[in-house]
Amino acid sequence: MADEKTGRPVPKPSIYVDTKPFWEGAKAGKLMLQYCKDTGRFQHYPRPVSIFTGSRNLEWREVSGKGTIYACTVIRVPGPGLEGRLPLSVATVELDEGVRILGNILNRDPNTVAIGQRVEVAWDRISDDVQYPAFDVV
Amino acid sequence: MSGKKRDIVIAGYSETAIDFKSGRSAFDLGGEALAKLLAATGIPKDAIDGLSVTAPLSECPNPFFAVYMTEALGITPTWLNYGGTGGCSATGGVARAASAIRDGYCEVAVVLSADAPSTAWRANYGAYRSEFQDPPGVQGPPATFGLLMSRYNHQFGIKPEALGKIAITQREHALHNDNAYTKFKTPITMADYEKSRVIADPLRLLDCVMFCDGANAFLVTTEKKARELGITKMVYPTAYAEVTNFNGSDPLADITETGFSKIAPIVYGQSGLAPKDIRMFQPYDDFTIAVMMKFEDFGFCKRGQGSEFTLDTDLSHKGTLPLNTGGGQISAGQPGLASGGLNLAEAVRQMFGEGEGRQVPDPRNALVTGIGVIPYARNWGTSAAMILEA
Repeated sequence: MADEKTGRPVPKPSIYVDTKPFWEGAKAGKLMLQYCKDTGRFQHYPRPVSIFTGSRNLEWREVSGKGTIYACTVIRVPGPGLEGRLPLSVATVELDEGVRILGNILNRDPNTVAIGQRVEVAWDRISDDVQYPAFDVV
Repeated sequence: MSGKKRDIVIAGYSETAIDFKSGRSAFDLGGEALAKLLAATGIPKDAIDGLSVTAPLSECPNPFFAVYMTEALGITPTWLNYGGTGGCSATGGVARAASAIRDGYCEVAVVLSADAPSTAWRANYGAYRSEFQDPPGVQGPPATFGLLMSRYNHQFGIKPEALGKIAITQREHALHNDNAYTKFKTPITMADYEKSRVIADPLRLLDCVMFCDGANAFLVTTEKKARELGITKMVYPTAYAEVTNFNGSDPLADITETGFSKIAPIVYGQSGLAPKDIRMFQPYDDFTIAVMMKFEDFGFCKRGQGSEFTLDTDLSHKGTLPLNTGGGQISAGQPGLASGGLNLAEAVRQMFGEGEGRQVPDPRNALVTGIGVIPYARNWGTSAAMILEA
């Protein structure tokens, strides 16, 4: 079910575990991640249990969206859903809360993105009513 | 060394040629590998009472592929294993067969890997990927390896000419390999490497494997039974270790630290060998950086010194550390998830003295590795290593 404007596939939420808080947060411009209440640590992508303890004592919490680029690449070859997006800047961002997330770096020449740069969450509109977390270099 | 296990042997191997879009199925390729294994070892089909089958991309929707394979091949095993660790399924299959034989579940096992993803890609990884990996465009291994390389480069530095040397050396070896995909049987130069297209910075086309079709098979039994069957060529898998989801519970783990750092000391300990004793290295080579990182993890050089070691070492089949002497997957073609068997088959071939134009002198042992599955924002899912000795 590709969006007509961008041709990007819109993911179907909660096919793996319940991810509704992530998607509803994104709609409201809030980055919501899974939090282990026993250890006080975040984990991403979402899991059926805490990867630290194995318990299901999890909740969703908003994170600052601020972090540092841990790794980065530029995708230069076509693939499904990449039409019109190349060259595409992709980074592993280490959020200040101590968890990593994959995201695109927006509004910047991909060739100038580098490890160690500070970033903050930005919102990538993938269809009329769905947005996805990405990052801006700050 | 006391306690070294030398009861089980790999008593035969076979491989199909690697082809792209062959139009054939994993069943047909697997059948060819079995027929060749029977011809090479001279054993009757009915001697086989154990079977390990690798889960192939091309037949993934069928959860009973391994059982269907027994019917396709006319084999009635009392031990059946279905290997789901991708490129670790071949070495892992040999290790599991050895354990099964020691426990008496079977006596003569075949470890069979066959796949045809360039003809029929039917895999769907599902899980979290559509929600959390596809939207930022991280669809396949190249993007993840681009990220991994960027981090390695940041921490240690990569000399591109070192990765180029790995690609060129393996291509030179593929020229001597009758089973290598025909379109790869042209030499490449450093200029070719440097000009090759960037896929996901800094990863280049000539750093990468290409999915093809193919199959391989191994005969695993006790030394005693092999001799009873009239087999004279055999090698001893004296060490094996694997780890899956290494550092998986640490969201901030250093992604340049791999599972091989954990298992390398284990296989050296089991075999009593040290890096200086290794006669040839047949590492799983989905990407050149994985080969370079394994030089470090297996102690051929210090961590972070992979580029210098690569440039300073003769990696040719006549060299000090012969590397992927059949061309590896990068230059022979990656037969889908039968991939790990390609590096293993080359090790056994060399130790049987059947390397022909690429024969390693004094092939008294080999170190083989496997890599399986590319996870979210890390390095790889399963790491496996096996040492074979004469």
